[in-house]
Amino acid sequence: MFRIIKKSLKTGVVTGRYPQSAAPHESIDPAAAEKAKPFRRSLVIREVDTGSCNACEMEMNALMNPVYDAERFGIRIAASPRHADALVVTGPVTINMERALKDVYKQTPDPKLVIALGDCAINCGMFKGSYAVTGPVDRHVPVDVRIPGCPPRPADILKVLTELCGKHDRH
Amino acid sequence: MAGPESHAAMLKAEFPSLVQIEGGGGGFSRFLVQKESLPAVAQYLHHHQKWQSRLALLWAVDDRPMREGASLHYLFALDNVRQWVVLSIELEGDDRLFPSITPHIHAAQWYEREIRDMFGLIPVGHPDLRRLVRHEHWPKGTHPLQKGFPWNEVLGRQQGNYRFLHIEGEGVFEVPVGPIHAGIIEPGHFRFSVAGEPIMQLELRHFWKHRGVEKLFEQRTLTDAVPLAERISGDTTVGHSLAYCQAVETLIGLEVPRRGRFLRSLFLELERLHNHVGDVGAICNDTAYSLPHAHCGRLKEQVMQLNDRLTGSRFLRGVNRVGGVTVDLTPNQLTEIPKELDRLEQDFSELESIIAANSSLIDRLETTGVLTTRTARDHAVVGVVGRASGLDYDLRRDRPFAAYGELAVKVAMYHYGDVRARMRVRMDEIHESIRLVKQLCATMPTGPIAAEPRLNSRLPKTPKAGEWALSAVEGWRGEILYMVMAGENETIHRCKVRDPSFVNWPAIQWAVVGNIIPDFPLINKSFNLSYAGNDL
Ligand code: SF4
Repeated sequence: MFRIIKKSLKTGVVTGRYPQSAAPHESIDPAAAEKAKPFRRSLVIREVDTGSCNACEMEMNALMNPVYDAERFGIRIAASPRHADALVVTGPVTINMERALKDVYKQTPDPKLVIALGDCAINCGMFKGSYAVTGPVDRHVPVDVRIPGCPPRPADILKVLTELCGKHDRH
Repeated sequence: MAGPESHAAMLKAEFPSLVQIEGGGGGFSRFLVQKESLPAVAQYLHHHQKWQSRLALLWAVDDRPMREGASLHYLFALDNVRQWVVLSIELEGDDRLFPSITPHIHAAQWYEREIRDMFGLIPVGHPDLRRLVRHEHWPKGTHPLQKGFPWNEVLGRQQGNYRFLHIEGEGVFEVPVGPIHAGIIEPGHFRFSVAGEPIMQLELRHFWKHRGVEKLFEQRTLTDAVPLAERISGDTTVGHSLAYCQAVETLIGLEVPRRGRFLRSLFLELERLHNHVGDVGAICNDTAYSLPHAHCGRLKEQVMQLNDRLTGSRFLRGVNRVGGVTVDLTPNQLTEIPKELDRLEQDFSELESIIAANSSLIDRLETTGVLTTRTARDHAVVGVVGRASGLDYDLRRDRPFAAYGELAVKVAMYHYGDVRARMRVRMDEIHESIRLVKQLCATMPTGPIAAEPRLNSRLPKTPKAGEWALSAVEGWRGEILYMVMAGENETIHRCKVRDPSFVNWPAIQWAVVGNIIPDFPLINKSFNLSYAGNDL
């Protein structure tokens, strides 16, 4: 017990110890901002991987670590699409995942946001044109917000998400 | 240790009809085998006591237009003598049948099903001919890796059902899980058959993320496919790109300068470090002990930020290129890295003692998800999972690449094969990686970081169409294998990628038997296999 307390004291607060996002500021589409209004202060996200290389997922996971701690902005990850306000989709949509993506979209209660995370989700990236890829996310479900990058840094993701929540990532 | 001649001599004495073929880059001996005698030769090679051999890779090539027909190649790793042997068979013209070796060599099972799906060649005698890569909705007769198949025509859909294996009986339930899971993880389908709590059977249904990577390689040239290799499994960016670059370098006869090789090893170890640290935390988290998870998340972030400062990418993207590396480190950075890692090691060691002191955690990990040495060997399991089950191989020591020929790597080994053993392999490897990085920084030679000529200019040697090379890298998950075959004009005729996940996934089906479903996430996490690298 003593060891654990000592470790915690020694470590201190690490939240916010990351370089600020340097990604060019793209303001969020007003329509999306309007749609995001009900989710101010609390945004529950369901992550859907439709064929990514898993780096984008790792960065989403990193958002939940103590350094970025997205929960301090009221951003949480849900285990089921039925609990979600927003879907974060990563990866080009593969033929095998197309159905699953559409299903998840249907399962998510309205109003909902769809966020395409990473170049793959936005324009298929490296996998464009392949016989097994049926096109970017917005070919299958309407996309409200796009976060480019391969993969985008957690700070970039956080910046967009906090803006949707009506807050600013300042530390 | 026996010389390379001896196994070749033994094989030839046993099977006089074998033809040894010269050439082929990557350090192995190669034999052309008659199709009919393949199972016998393969069995002899695989079962002979002396060699401890395992089937490391099995791939097919559509040889058109060079030759009418397809060919299959079986790579056996003779671990006792540290030699590789490739057996090749050639199918003539429209011949689509090849003998299955799965009944005798279990490790071939997924490879042969994959070849059937991708090439339309049929493994005669395979006990399970269901589709593997092609999901049931892919139209009949679509075999993407056949040369005539257009790479950019999106597949149509048909109706179809996949037949899962059923266990029938009173009180037996099936629990389907996935493809979309609860956490932020990749898609895959798991089907459990349970009677009461314990799992009787698990069947995997993967390949949801199949993106057609191997076909995409064929649309690129030898030197410009590195970014694609990096994106096969994002967490193994360096491992995959390094394996790819090495294969191409062998093919075009390019020697990587010493500093380039040292930097490659350094980046590979940094990648191992951040992934292993994250995994240790995640294993603890899956037993609902979230304190180490928080600490490990912080430490992992620290390494990734270090990566970012050193190379401009948290995942070390764009670091490798054919001929060497793209990023050099300044003397300042080379003194900074060991200092930072010293602090990290201190931090991590404290955390380790917190983890070890938690008896309820350790109790949960011990004897959970046991993969026995026997099962591991039958599946030819590699990497962390293999080393936790008593399979003592690590390419860094056994087939040194990059700078490992000049480093003594201590290989972490455990025999219990449970979750705890897998966690301890990772913990040991974290310390070893830190030691290696420090040593690499201290002994970093001067000189160029990459071989000239620069990209896109003339290559030192243009490989003939049909020439191929193998390369192997010990990534953080385990052995990554690449086979790159050149086409006309520096294009890629075929690139076979094998992530360690592809061989380790089937083994997980056996590790969970007898455990309860709530322990499955924990066991799965302790394997931590890539879905993207498996599905390609
Ligand atoms: S955008 Fe880049 S990092 Fe994200 S899934 Fe695609 S290839 Fe991977």
